[in-house]
Amino acid sequence: MAKDIVAGALCCVGTFFFLLGTTGLLRMPDVFTRLHPSTKCDTLGACSIIIGMAVHSGWSWELPKLVIIACFLLLSSATCGHAIGRSALRRDIPYWRKKTGEVEGGDGS
Amino acid sequence: MMDDFLTVIALIISLNAVICLYRAAVGPTTQDRVLGVNIVGTKALVVVVLVTFIQTESFFLDVALVYALLLFVVTVAVSRYLEAEGWKEVA
Amino acid sequence: MTGDSAVRKKILLTCILFLFWVIFTATLALYDLVLGAVSSALVAVLTVALLGRALDPRITPMVLLRLPVFMVRLIWEIVKANYDVAKIILNPRLPIDPRIVEYRTYLPDDLPRTVFSDSITLTPGTVTVELTGDMLNVHCLCPYHQEGLAGLERLVAWLFGVKKEGPARGAQETAFAAEGGAGSLTAGRPERGGEV
Repeated sequence: MAKDIVAGALCCVGTFFFLLGTTGLLRMPDVFTRLHPSTKCDTLGACSIIIGMAVHSGWSWELPKLVIIACFLLLSSATCGHAIGRSALRRDIPYWRKKTGEVEGGDGS
Repeated sequence: MMDDFLTVIALIISLNAVICLYRAAVGPTTQDRVLGVNIVGTKALVVVVLVTFIQTESFFLDVALVYALLLFVVTVAVSRYLEAEGWKEVA
Repeated sequence: MTGDSAVRKKILLTCILFLFWVIFTATLALYDLVLGAVSSALVAVLTVALLGRALDPRITPMVLLRLPVFMVRLIWEIVKANYDVAKIILNPRLPIDPRIVEYRTYLPDDLPRTVFSDSITLTPGTVTVELTGDMLNVHCLCPYHQEGLAGLERLVAWLFGVKKEGPARGAQETAFAAEGGAGSLTAGRPERGGEV
């Protein structure tokens, strides 16, 4: 029973981060800024759901496969983000800058 | 009980993936589309992992593993292709 | 000397392939184990020239021992990064001021640099968009995000036992030279340049 609660909580956390990644993907202004939410939130969301499923399955043959998938995702999503960013940089896609007028006043932090 | 919960989670993630298709369809640059496809693929991978435990069929996990490898290869290959010189952006 | 290390490489590769075989077949029946041992040995002998490059001499037992600690630190950084990105995305004003900064790293080889650039992508507000030689182009979401890079570099340097600007890599260099490469630091470079 406690196992199910932990697995369910991890699934909820993962779904929340997936929703966050989608929001970021739709809201951000250009390719480079879209890379941020998509790489980070998707990695954590997918990994936490997969680890939740690993908790759910317990000691079985599914466990090592799930761990391998999670580790591979951790590597691959960072590398995919790097590849897409590099191709955008090499194609000279202009990146979004804050308006110079706003930098003076609006940047409080 | 747990199966119903996992089904709801899988449905939410699928809906999420459909919203991400918006970026793949209208993204202003081709790199945006590749990114959208990559995100949709990650979500599909997680749905496959969830289906493994909803149906308690172990072989879906192998599908998920191959899907992860394929997604990585596709994204990196398309990005490398796009950064080649002399390639014109098609509007 | 080189023959001995080649045999050791083949045995290590066979063990790794066999481990993956057992995990993916998900059975411990004798027939499957024997078939897996024979086929992984065959694959190891046939493809040692290709897969042997993955068994880098820089992956020493010390690195494997330090890897769990590194992973825990990295996962903590990922959680912090997600909190940070969540705060920015859910803010209706979208307070971002993106810029691309150049960062020159002192990490010596391709492997530490790759680990470093992948870690940068997963930590708060930074994404590596290009890595050439020892120059990294890092896209920062806000200007204050680039302050975290130096600490991360120290963490990766600790993982691989690299001292800053020091000749403290003697043991690893001799291990590398035994493989047949003369200049250990530049041995990997022409290959990589040829690929790109």
